[in-house]
Amino acid sequence: MDIRELKKQSDLSYDTAVAKRNALEKAHSRQVMAYEGHLFRADAETICLVRTLKESLDTFCVLDTNHNPVEITDPDDFLGKLIERNQESLNAYKQIYQTFTRKG
Amino acid sequence: MSKGVLLFCFDTEHTRYHRILERCVRLVQKNISKNITVITDFKTYSMMSPMGHINYRFIEPELGNKKNGLEWRNVDRHMAYELSPYDTTLVMDIDYLPFSDDLAKFLDTRYDFLVSKEAYDLTGRDSFDLRRYSMIDMVWATVLVFRKGPKAKRVFDCVKYIKSYYSYFLELYRIRDRQFRNDYAFAIALEQANGFISYDTLPVRLPTLPPDCEVVAMDEVGIAWRHNDQINHTKNQDVHVLNKDFANV
Repeated sequence: MDIRELKKQSDLSYDTAVAKRNALEKAHSRQVMAYEGHLFRADAETICLVRTLKESLDTFCVLDTNHNPVEITDPDDFLGKLIERNQESLNAYKQIYQTFTRKG
Repeated sequence: MSKGVLLFCFDTEHTRYHRILERCVRLVQKNISKNITVITDFKTYSMMSPMGHINYRFIEPELGNKKNGLEWRNVDRHMAYELSPYDTTLVMDIDYLPFSDDLAKFLDTRYDFLVSKEAYDLTGRDSFDLRRYSMIDMVWATVLVFRKGPKAKRVFDCVKYIKSYYSYFLELYRIRDRQFRNDYAFAIALEQANGFISYDTLPVRLPTLPPDCEVVAMDEVGIAWRHNDQINHTKNQDVHVLNKDFANV
């Protein structure tokens, strides 16, 4: 085994792992959005909740990131913004991720 | 409702903070807000390059605090409430470089006071999570958002009180750091002003480069650093740089 080559590959893998971790953290940060003066996380859980509530209610309450109740009066608008933010952050993450896979 | 960004900047004998400010202001103008107020002194102001249309307010910084044996002019943050001309204010350390517009959304909220409790180590070592150095959760006063009103004022008044009796509060909360830190002053104030239960926080971890990382390059979109002979970088991601030598990069 060529130890020098192994170390080189190990260093490269470490750099890639750190960069991937940072990109994911950036995506998580990006998913936070302001709506009606409150903060929400545009993650899968919030999107699923809002979509489920929207199916049976015209207006409903959800909790913001600080567990404060917020009345949502325009569910379509809210859901649209959540999905937009979610996909924007994940697409940005995907672009960075593809650069890692190219590096091996 | 006016909104804007408040920055504090005072040069010291060892660090030319105005150079860090110039970089920070460019990024704030590009990514967060054109409404910027800089709190500084005449000596620092005279060193600054023109940065476009920003407001300046001059104070004489309180001296006496030190970090690693060097002068550290950081104790005036408690005056942010009085010094801010905005209804909703984002206060940032100038070594927090906003390469993204992630902080802008916080100006669109109606919370009275928001601060982050967590920092994220960009080197992957989780060096800000290993242990607690006090009986109280520290907050990162690096970035805070407040809306003028009785609740925010109470927090700032409480910080002033804590600052006056800081050595007492250090013992009370068994805080290891002996120098004045805004992080602890605000953490204590938020605990006390909110009935020792809980308070609203920013739902993000502040991306931070530990002090042992050397910044080797920086442009308008990102930053590269060296740690243990390895180079890494981020792009379009905010970075709080703890090694102040990057003023010279």
